[in-house]
Amino acid sequence: MNKRMTILPWLIAAMVLVFGAQSVVAAEADAQAAGGAALTLAIDKTEINNGGTIKVSGQAVAGKPVYLEVYAADHTVRANRFDADPDKDTGKRPYIFYITEQMPAYYKIFVPKELQPKIDEEAKKKGKWSYSELLKNLGADAAYTVPAKAKVDRYQSTLMASVVGSRGDLLPQLDEKDNKRRSMQLVKARFRSINNVFAAAVDVKPDGSYTADIKIRDGLAPGKYKIVAVVDKQVKSEAVTFENKISFPSMYMENAGTSMNLLYPFLLTLVVAIFGVLMGAGGGFILNPLLVTLFPALPHTIVAGTVTPTVLFSQGSGIYNYSKIKFINWKLGCGIGTAMLVGGFIGPKLTEMITLAQFKFAFGWILLVLAALMLWQTTPGYLAKNKKEQAILKEFKKRAEEAAKGKN
Amino acid sequence: MKIEFWGQEFQVNMFIGCIGGFLIAVMSSMFGFGGGPFMVPLMTVALRLPMYLVVGSSLLAIFFNTSISTMRHYQFGNFDLIFFLAMFPAALLGGYIGPQIAKRVSPLVVKRVACAGLVILALNLLGLY
Repeated sequence: MNKRMTILPWLIAAMVLVFGAQSVVAAEADAQAAGGAALTLAIDKTEINNGGTIKVSGQAVAGKPVYLEVYAADHTVRANRFDADPDKDTGKRPYIFYITEQMPAYYKIFVPKELQPKIDEEAKKKGKWSYSELLKNLGADAAYTVPAKAKVDRYQSTLMASVVGSRGDLLPQLDEKDNKRRSMQLVKARFRSINNVFAAAVDVKPDGSYTADIKIRDGLAPGKYKIVAVVDKQVKSEAVTFENKISFPSMYMENAGTSMNLLYPFLLTLVVAIFGVLMGAGGGFILNPLLVTLFPALPHTIVAGTVTPTVLFSQGSGIYNYSKIKFINWKLGCGIGTAMLVGGFIGPKLTEMITLAQFKFAFGWILLVLAALMLWQTTPGYLAKNKKEQAILKEFKKRAEEAAKGKN
Repeated sequence: MKIEFWGQEFQVNMFIGCIGGFLIAVMSSMFGFGGGPFMVPLMTVALRLPMYLVVGSSLLAIFFNTSISTMRHYQFGNFDLIFFLAMFPAALLGGYIGPQIAKRVSPLVVKRVACAGLVILALNLLGLY
């Protein structure tokens, strides 16, 4: 026993030595590769204020394209995608839900200017553009590294799992290659439009020197960003860091992954809430589509998930006021409420399974139905009936209020 | 099911009520709104209940839906605190200002404006406009 105890530290020390030496060797090899090709990268400023332009210049290999991989280093966001497209070979729908929490809040690859036509060509496919195909066509495969390392979880969804509102069974971890492939789909799911993830901005001279204007849009995550210049798998520059500053009233929203001037949602909600009161309905169904259309950077899941608690309190105070004058039938409310409880359990699960396009499409139809309902409520026949109803309603309310007062 | 409200008795078809409520709940929690504008017509038209019974009870039913869907959205990480803090005070303020303006405008006009606004918004979402 005693002997073993003395051997153990030596063993660990030996292991550290061996592995340490190995990694040192590897690092040296990397440095050599980069140093040999002399790939340099310099930027004109290290700080921007809620977006801006950064001039990049450097020296690369003559006659070879240069790609710049730019990403937010401080903040990651969630990206998810529900795969229900039929398999090309078998025609079966996989129904697998992919999700990662480690997508950089900003990710973009800047490619040489000559490649613009290839981006335009892919853009013609509109919503059906493919990130992986474009990456390959641009020859930018080697520059795609950061999201490839994001750990992608996948869940096997079933009808039954959806009914009970669960994501399904967690499937075994993807291998490195598959993880990379799926992460590309998640990049598209997260950033949606081509212009958010690719730009042709690098100007490469025949002698291998290059310059680029990197435009960072507003409304992005604050903190440190990194730029890496890439020629191919072996030849990469050191990462250069710059910082994006966000100041109040703009703030970064951790879950949404975007910065936003908070005055806008405040004013919008105020107007919609007043309008909602005038109309005699909560404003949620106006606020949601407005937010989604006016602020395309906000994910629809966040919009739906954050507007819901906002209306919760006005409902609560309404119930409290009605209950004070005993104007609620608890049996009826709880009865239907139980059915709604089940529905409300399932709904949020479905939100994250649909894409923004599907969200907009369905919401568009819901609003049309709602508009029809409202129009019907302004027809003369309805109004005549409603007048009587309103009179009875007032009468009963008065009675209820008096009864409540009498008791006190 | 029989229910009693202010001395009157009503016969309620709970089957239709629950199916309708369930569907409205799935839809409204999925898209993140309360569901009141759908719930009131369901209870007045499909269940043939008078308005004075519906106003309070529909609110209670919706409250069940909103609270559970809030919990679920939070669980799935769809809730953003800072975004919420930007909207919540505005919603409270709106609820305070709204009733004071309400006395001066005709609900009929408001509904017609809302109707037109909803159609425009819907066409925008559908990509037609």
